[in-house]
Amino acid sequence: MRKLRYAAVALAAALLAGCGSATPEPVVPAAVAQTAPPAAEARYNDVDVAFLQMMVAHHGQTLEILKLARTRGTDERVALLAAAIEATQQTELEVMRGWLTGWGEPLTGSASHAAHASHSADGALPITAADEMASLRKASKAQFQVTFLNVLIGHQHNAIEMARTEAGGGVNPQAKDLANRIDRSRTEQIKQLLAMVSG
Amino acid sequence: MRRLVAYPLAALGFVAASLTFASPASAHGYVSSPPSRQALCASGRVSDCGPIQYEPQSVEGPKGQRNCHGGLSQFAVLNDDGRNWPATSVGTSVTFNWVLTARHSTSSWEYWIGDRRVAFFEDGGKQPNATVSHQVSLAGFSGRQKLLAIWNIGDTPMAFYNCVDLQIGGGGGNPAPSPSPSARPTPRPSASPSVRPSARPSATPTAVPPRPTPPSAPAGEWAPGTTYRTGDEVTYQGVRYRCRQAHTSIVTWEPSYYTLALWLPI
Repeated sequence: MRKLRYAAVALAAALLAGCGSATPEPVVPAAVAQTAPPAAEARYNDVDVAFLQMMVAHHGQTLEILKLARTRGTDERVALLAAAIEATQQTELEVMRGWLTGWGEPLTGSASHAAHASHSADGALPITAADEMASLRKASKAQFQVTFLNVLIGHQHNAIEMARTEAGGGVNPQAKDLANRIDRSRTEQIKQLLAMVSG
Repeated sequence: MRRLVAYPLAALGFVAASLTFASPASAHGYVSSPPSRQALCASGRVSDCGPIQYEPQSVEGPKGQRNCHGGLSQFAVLNDDGRNWPATSVGTSVTFNWVLTARHSTSSWEYWIGDRRVAFFEDGGKQPNATVSHQVSLAGFSGRQKLLAIWNIGDTPMAFYNCVDLQIGGGGGNPAPSPSPSARPTPRPSASPSVRPSARPSATPTAVPPRPTPPSAPAGEWAPGTTYRTGDEVTYQGVRYRCRQAHTSIVTWEPSYYTLALWLPI
């Protein structure tokens, strides 16, 4: 459907050596730490691109939310979780940008602003980063941590939905692997966040 | 029931993509604290809940119902009072906090105990904020109560349903008053039971550069649900790693390229 283009990511060759371009294989050499970014194959479709562009935006928003939490202050256990989310999502963000760049695709969707005005079939508006940040900024000192946790939980639920859409409609094996990682990772994060918000 | 939710995708201009990007579930909101039954399922504090654990925000059914599952058979577990849901100890004034994943035009919010509507908030079709909180007086009630919280959507015939089990007014006979996630009985390792109890002296919330730390680490295999401190060492798939940043581990945070900020191969 879309012509193949080569993502010339430096270490791709090393990682994918031996794999044909068509057959994705999880490359996990025994007893060797994976220290190179996963390289994306050149086979992808519009769903893959839309997913990565949306997740790049979504990750940027996550980092903004977490940064605000750092400046406003939270319990130590919340701060530790937030810091770990921040660190891992920063890496995911770099990987996704690398894939889009390697494919020659823009890092943002062509109409990301319009996304804020899009309606779903039942009239619901997606929660935007602006909504989330406004809620956080408005929260009193006493209410801040609870607001932060609830915002982040909702934000991560949305990441799971995007990831599941990619899992269903994407074709790029690495993007789908990432979607699977995001689905599982955010589900586990939500467990911790829910325990904190009710505790 | 599955509906097409044309998520921000539609606006990206990919017609094909937006058709493919049908949301897997109708997802919109639930009460996170005091924890609703679906929140207890999603957090892993109550196990064997079925599909609701993955989409606590999806208990959407026609308005006017007085049950915990919105009439959805796949979520019927929520309506099963025989499950011995843990009740949260509260006073007579309670703040209910909602997680929202979409902003529906909102007609109203209702809180019921039995046949009595204990609170009602009229929104008149407004879009809610990213999170919603309501303070509700439960004066006149005591002991264990099942509270029903309802979010009535403004421009659809639908509503979102949540049951919240409460132990009102001090002294409860129920498992684990909310402030202790570690008291939960679930055997699942991933449920973050160990977040709190281990008061970590060395915990550093900021991004920590790797630094030589005395070898105090438990020399085990990496495992989820474990609180690791900076300097702890683990083995994962035959490779040794040192923790660079304190955290409680979850599945997907095992050592890999994606978690190099947490684990450095040594």
